[in-house]
Amino acid sequence: MTTITTGSTGAFYERSRLDMKDLRTQAESLQAQLSSGSRLTRSSDNPVAASRLRSLSRLETLSQIDTANASRANADLTLADAAMSDMADAVIRAQELATQAASSTLTGEQRSAIATELDQIGQNLLALSNARDSNGHALFGGEASGDAYKLDAAGKAAYVGTAGSEELPLGEGQNVTRSMTGPQFLSFTGKDGSATDVMATVKALSDALKTGGSTAAATSDALANLQTGLDTLTTGQTVVGTRLAWIELTGERRADLSQLRSTEETEIGGTDIATTVSRLQETLTVLEASQASFSRLSGLSLFDQLR
Amino acid sequence: MGADLLSIARSGARVARGALDVTANNIANASSEGYVRRSVAVSEVSGGTSLGTPAAINLAGARITGIVRNADAFRQSEVRRTGSDAARASAEVQGLENVQSALEQTGVYESVVAFEGSLKQLLSDPTDGSLRAQAVEDARTMAQTFNTASQSLDAAARGLQFEAQDGVTQVNRIAGELGRVNLRLMRAADSSSDQSALLDQRDNLLQQLSDHADITTTINADKSVSVMLGGPTGAALVSGATANILAMTTAANGTLSFTVNSQATTLSSGAIAGKAQALVELGGARTQLNAIAAGIVSSMNTAQASGVDLAGNPGQPLFSGTSAADIAMVASGGSALATAPASAAAASRDVTNLDTMRTALASADPAGAMDTLLFGVSSAVAGRTVTRDALASIAGSARVSLQAQAGVNLDDEAVNLVRFQQAYQASARVMQVASDIFDSILAIR
Repeated sequence: MTTITTGSTGAFYERSRLDMKDLRTQAESLQAQLSSGSRLTRSSDNPVAASRLRSLSRLETLSQIDTANASRANADLTLADAAMSDMADAVIRAQELATQAASSTLTGEQRSAIATELDQIGQNLLALSNARDSNGHALFGGEASGDAYKLDAAGKAAYVGTAGSEELPLGEGQNVTRSMTGPQFLSFTGKDGSATDVMATVKALSDALKTGGSTAAATSDALANLQTGLDTLTTGQTVVGTRLAWIELTGERRADLSQLRSTEETEIGGTDIATTVSRLQETLTVLEASQASFSRLSGLSLFDQLR
Repeated sequence: MGADLLSIARSGARVARGALDVTANNIANASSEGYVRRSVAVSEVSGGTSLGTPAAINLAGARITGIVRNADAFRQSEVRRTGSDAARASAEVQGLENVQSALEQTGVYESVVAFEGSLKQLLSDPTDGSLRAQAVEDARTMAQTFNTASQSLDAAARGLQFEAQDGVTQVNRIAGELGRVNLRLMRAADSSSDQSALLDQRDNLLQQLSDHADITTTINADKSVSVMLGGPTGAALVSGATANILAMTTAANGTLSFTVNSQATTLSSGAIAGKAQALVELGGARTQLNAIAAGIVSSMNTAQASGVDLAGNPGQPLFSGTSAADIAMVASGGSALATAPASAAAASRDVTNLDTMRTALASADPAGAMDTLLFGVSSAVAGRTVTRDALASIAGSARVSLQAQAGVNLDDEAVNLVRFQQAYQASARVMQVASDIFDSILAIR
């Protein structure tokens, strides 16, 4: 009322216009927050929060790659575990055959039949040790791109891969070795004190059985070596199992951290719907009131009263 | 005596008529921009004598002595000063917002993170063709977003320079008009309606001028105005009928400098000054963006050179260029990424050099630097927005306060209309009385 009596008409309109424009801008910005679900439309709305949101989204992007890497490592290690179980089965069968061959009642034909089966087992073991990972590379060949084991001129399986397997980052600075190299779970020190491996043991036994003659020493050596080989293999399998558990553990941690990040994102950047709606309602109420009072005041004209 | 009465009534009627005209003019201009409410100054006519007591009484009617323009020079200069500050702040914020969107909406940060991510994913299988292609394409996208951001900055700079140039043109136009108004003011009669209109025009032009640049005004005795640009010690833009020329020069780095009649001038407020300040900030942002791009180019190319690619050949540069404008991905394809160390054979799965690359990228830290740049620009926008809102509300209240004092109040004018109508009718009644008196003399027989 005072604006009309003390100020000029133009000042009254100007002031009302400024006030209503402010209210309208406020209401529109609240509405934008509600419809976008985000409190920040540009970085300048809150530079600190926007910077935090940027680093959170960067962490999230990199964490998704960690998840992809972890699932690759998980797939490779599961494949390795399966291959190693098959190998263990083969070694156990070789043990049974060696035990049969140790019997002095066997005929030469029976021994050579056992030798044939042992050769077959040797080939299975070679094929298993050359198993492929999820990318099509040798599972137990370290960083080599081809086979892990190759037969040399004498028909012996020789390791041709690299010395170590590659590591994959799992996020938060944690790594996992995605597989094992062949020698890590196939090679061991034989009964005679020299380095050997499961495939060599099987081949030596089969060769001894084929030659005929007394096989007592050969079978006894083979049984001892196969037992050591099986132990080494089982140890290797335990290592793989531990790594799988480690991936699972880091996976859980990654999921927890990701959840924390999204909670923080919502807290920093998300719209608090209840608060925003009530503030919008408040602003709209004030705006309606000021529009109503404006139209009543602007309708007051002395010219209407003077006749 | 009857004739005297008649002439007094006539002068009264004329005054009332004049006042009614002024009131009508006020009502008609109630919403005219820059119109200052007028009122009529009336005084008694002295010099007439009465028969009986010539020295004691003076009866000669009234006359209009002038048109009063109810302008408050202080409030007007406040409107100009605060308006100039608000225009500067608003232009600066607008320019900075353009810089912000050039850097933020082009997605440079996201593309840098994507490139980092694809290098990390390549660890899972360095010989995989699709992962390699993805890394190289992410590198290309990153280079292109840097180009886009640089072009957006260029476009923002060109827009600001164009608007500043337009502002300079406007200043020169207004200065020319002010010179002509000054000339006519020097010739117009004092307190005439013609002069009031010229003064309205003068004040209106000054207000327009203050939106563009900071001006210091001096009102001379003949009501013409002298305008200094760039503070009280600045260069004279308008003095008397002479208007000097404001000129703008764009430096190689895009910043602006101004001269009045070849004399260097510093503008500290007004929209032109705001645009010049925004251009300085834009130059700073561009320098930082270029440094980030150059850091990526040198760190990645150095790391490439220390390894061998998929075919076992020494790594070739991945990027060319030295700034955000010309950074480009030049590798022939995914196989050109030198992931393996120098001694490795073809198709090696050894990731030693990929680790070197990732370490080099992490120490160049383009994502962190980009975040810092975005943070700097956005907090500048946020801070300046607060300043702008404060200055805009100060300017708004200064404008309202001037209008409250100098503007037209329709209620007042309605009252004046009735009052002067009554005065006119009263004067007419006096004429009637004079006529009646004359008739009663004639009626004696």
